[in-house]
Amino acid sequence: MEDPETFTLLDLHMDPTSKAITSSSNSRTLQEELKALNHLHKSLLNLESPVPPPPIPVNPKRSANITKLRESGNGEFRKGKHAEAIKFYTLGLQMALTRPPWEPSGLIRDEVSGLYANRAQAHMAMSNWVEGSVDAEASVEAKKVGNAKAWWRKGKCLMEMGRLEEAKEWVGRGLEMEGNEADLVGLLKDIEGKSGKA
Amino acid sequence: MFGVNWWGLVLPFAYLAVLVGSLITFSSMYRKRIAAKSANLAPWFPPHLQRNIYLSLLHLEPGEGKEKSPAVSDSILRAALLRRAVEDIRRIIEVRTAKQACSTLLQRGSIGDDLWQRFLRAEKEMEEELRDVVMEANALAPNWGQTIFQSANEIAAGTTFRTRLDEIQAQTDSEKAWWEKRRASIQSEFMKEIDTEANSTGKASKVVSDEDAVLVETANNTGSLRKKKAKK
Repeated sequence: MEDPETFTLLDLHMDPTSKAITSSSNSRTLQEELKALNHLHKSLLNLESPVPPPPIPVNPKRSANITKLRESGNGEFRKGKHAEAIKFYTLGLQMALTRPPWEPSGLIRDEVSGLYANRAQAHMAMSNWVEGSVDAEASVEAKKVGNAKAWWRKGKCLMEMGRLEEAKEWVGRGLEMEGNEADLVGLLKDIEGKSGKA
Repeated sequence: MFGVNWWGLVLPFAYLAVLVGSLITFSSMYRKRIAAKSANLAPWFPPHLQRNIYLSLLHLEPGEGKEKSPAVSDSILRAALLRRAVEDIRRIIEVRTAKQACSTLLQRGSIGDDLWQRFLRAEKEMEEELRDVVMEANALAPNWGQTIFQSANEIAAGTTFRTRLDEIQAQTDSEKAWWEKRRASIQSEFMKEIDTEANSTGKASKVVSDEDAVLVETANNTGSLRKKKAKK
């Protein structure tokens, strides 16, 4: 960084009507940063208060909506309408991921991990192993501990696709995280049985 | 009393003066050189783009020909300051994680003093930078200084999390393509297996016309499948 007393003057312009900041420089990082800045500016303008409120408490409206979408997804899933369930989960995911950026990321992780895990289950019910495995991985990324279901689902998908080595490694990692979860141990045995046969 | 022979003491005093003088000169020169060296050290972090943008916006000059200054609105300044705070959070996390490793490496002698100096300077600069951001925040909105870094922290964490999720979801297409291919190959292998089985049984039986062969094959197929299932 430069001296605290100085800075590099950048060649910036403001569009008088849209208030968007632009620059004639062709540095890519600068352009990307300005894009992010204008985006943030727009989301700030939608607020009632001039500055983003502190992360806690959270506006309960969106959380309620997301919970509702998940519930309806679960309902459709129970009725066996997997495609409908996936649609609901996808909507819920969109809503959770488009929360204003300054809202607590822990909360987003929680919601997202549940939704991805459920969507993975719906995909698996339709034998879409690829989508199921990707969603389960995303769920694990959002919440690593206490998410045995998602660990299990990705392991199962990998097994179904015949990627036994990967499945074994993945379930092993899951066991490290979750302790001796009975389901995971059972799955590992299945995988080992299969690879022994092959 | 004692007759002090001042003239006789001139020599020792001169000796002392020269000694002290040379020591002082040496120490001052040495310090200056060290200071110059550390001033020339490369900075730890790259230029702070967000900070530059914020300060450039503060100093935005009116365009040529226009008398009135374009008056950057406060909301833009607030957004720019928030972006700056987010980048600061990232840098602070980097400094904190690097500190432990750096000090251990320094103790073992694995890294030079230069790197440590650069690190310490970066740490000090970050402290100043934080103080500056809090002051600016309070100037833009009352009491914002207390919460700006909380918000920035969530933004930084949320952004990294979202990019990670995007990366994972981006795998879908390639994985899908792979799986389609794989499934096709499994299927064709399976069909081949069936074909060979059917052929061997077909050859064993007497030669028949094409149409009959098809019929025989299908019959054999179901038969072999059933056998397999029964074995399980």
